[in-house]
Amino acid sequence: MTTIPPYLHPGDNIAIVCPAGYMPREKAQTCIDTLEQWGYRVKIGRTLGGPSDNYFSGNDNDRLNDFQQMLDDPGVQAILCGRGGYGLSRIIDRIDFSRFLQKPKWIIGYSDITLLHAHIEANFNIATLHAPMAAAFNEGGAEAPYVQSLRQAMAGEKAAYSCPTHPFNRIGQTTAPLTGGNLALLAHLAGTPSATQTEGKILFLEDVGEYLYNIDRMLWQLKRSGQLNRLAGFVIGRFTELKDTTRPFGATVEEIVRDHIKEYNYPVCFGFPVGHDGNNLALKTSVTYTLTVASGQVSLTETKTSAG
Amino acid sequence: MLAVSGIAPGLFQADRFPHVRETKGKSPQPLLIPPYLKTGDTIGITCPAGDITQKEIQPAIQQIESWGFKTKAGNTVGKKDFIYGGADAERLADFQQMLDDPEVKAILCARGGYGAVHIIDQLNFSPLLQTPKWIIGFSDITVLLCHIYSNLHIASIHSKMCNSFPDDWAKAEPVQVASILSIRQALSGEKMQYTAPARQQNRPGSSDGQLIGGNLKTIESIAGTSSDIDTAGKILFVEDTGEYLYSIDRMFWHLQRTGKLDRLAGLVVGGFKIKPDDPGEEFGRTVYDIVTERVKPYNYPVCFDFPVGHQKENYALKYGIPHTLLVTPGQVSLTEKTTTP
Repeated sequence: MTTIPPYLHPGDNIAIVCPAGYMPREKAQTCIDTLEQWGYRVKIGRTLGGPSDNYFSGNDNDRLNDFQQMLDDPGVQAILCGRGGYGLSRIIDRIDFSRFLQKPKWIIGYSDITLLHAHIEANFNIATLHAPMAAAFNEGGAEAPYVQSLRQAMAGEKAAYSCPTHPFNRIGQTTAPLTGGNLALLAHLAGTPSATQTEGKILFLEDVGEYLYNIDRMLWQLKRSGQLNRLAGFVIGRFTELKDTTRPFGATVEEIVRDHIKEYNYPVCFGFPVGHDGNNLALKTSVTYTLTVASGQVSLTETKTSAG
Repeated sequence: MLAVSGIAPGLFQADRFPHVRETKGKSPQPLLIPPYLKTGDTIGITCPAGDITQKEIQPAIQQIESWGFKTKAGNTVGKKDFIYGGADAERLADFQQMLDDPEVKAILCARGGYGAVHIIDQLNFSPLLQTPKWIIGFSDITVLLCHIYSNLHIASIHSKMCNSFPDDWAKAEPVQVASILSIRQALSGEKMQYTAPARQQNRPGSSDGQLIGGNLKTIESIAGTSSDIDTAGKILFVEDTGEYLYSIDRMFWHLQRTGKLDRLAGLVVGGFKIKPDDPGEEFGRTVYDIVTERVKPYNYPVCFDFPVGHQKENYALKYGIPHTLLVTPGQVSLTEKTTTP
């Protein structure tokens, strides 16, 4: 049974930490101001805009301790990761989830944060929020539907999303728990204790900056590790800033995906707004959604009875 | 074991991750060593991954024939389907024919690139079990070497391929010549011995184990699949090219988190050609730092800058065959054991 952390109420505390890459404090200011305007209180972790002078927002212990403190703090109702980058692999096995298990709270982010979503889903079956992070609030983003979808998700509003159709879509409808995130991270987790089990679930994927051949290789890994054959449904998000080899790979991402799943018959949609290019709707992992892929429309709707 | 805190016992039951340490508890399967080659034997050349032209394999054919072997180029040589040496079905059929052909005693992959994973699950390896033969290559061919070792327990050769034979033998650098000639030595059944530079980051020690490994990214990309490797008790070698330091760090974490570092006999770190950090994203750790940090909890020997990888100095390693790794403050050697079990 999936555990849903309590939804947020005005006056609740949202912590902002950076468990992976470095983020200057000023880049999170609009996010902080916006969360306060929404009626929440914001607790800034030491890893947001800390003294780090390298890639990471702090050394492993700093990042671990900051995240751990927010995880354990009974006054914090949600943890919003400031940004992704790289770094959770280095601390995931040292995070103590015992207090979180007793008192679940929302863990929010995407990209490298996929590791937290997958690990928590695989080991504890507690819902998390795959959603925009602090930088998404900048340059008018706070009013855009994507950051607004985070606000709605945190407040417990049921999501009802739609997206344009795509010629490769495969028609069908399914109701199942949602799982997924960044493809490179999901491939990187194969064989580890953080690997999600996708059987019977709606899987969503997105990625950025990858070579086409590498996307193909990662999909082979998912397929060969049994992660694509028994899906309930498949939601292909945004694959942006893709790179190609000097000698062209010869297939688009959409073609690569289509070829990998041609022997299965679950519903599939392409171009869903989840990813690194700003089109990034909040999605609750482990929570049950209904994916409807029809000839004229695509929708992903949180089921009304997903409380358990 | 993985350091996991705060998790109720029983959550990480082994049967949830059957691909991790799948051979744990089983008695070791005997290693099959293909017959070494004799003068007049035939080496097949095929492209299971990237493409190569007829012209590009000529230096390899001339050299191999000068060693007294015959060559048989498959019909994927000269084929091109975007980045591949022919369509999946063509590469599959060509490799299968090499496996099935009793005249072919060794299969030399013409080059790496990408694509072996497309055909691996469709190959019928039963002829190879009946009549083991040497499979030769590296880089993307790591998929084949790992798969064959894990599933069939047949030794193979990790080495340069056709695209690395020098056009002009007289002008080639000595390490390139030596690297190519080591393929002949390995195929002919010579006992192999290599040395590597002494590095202050090396960890001294001596150990015996079967030698397995390959391209680090490729090893990661087959984790969780039927081609995955169990490294317990093995000497593991890894190399890579064109990866960011953060990505190399992440891959070493992956090795650790999939249980591939904790019970090694030894670790051999080959060449790592680094992709420079993007400006403002300086990783701040070298490959030495990354590896040293990951192997700190263990006490097996570790050496760096071993001559295996995408650089010119890349000697043929007999994959799966027991070796002795000796790391002292002044020297490093990797020596094939004289009695194979």
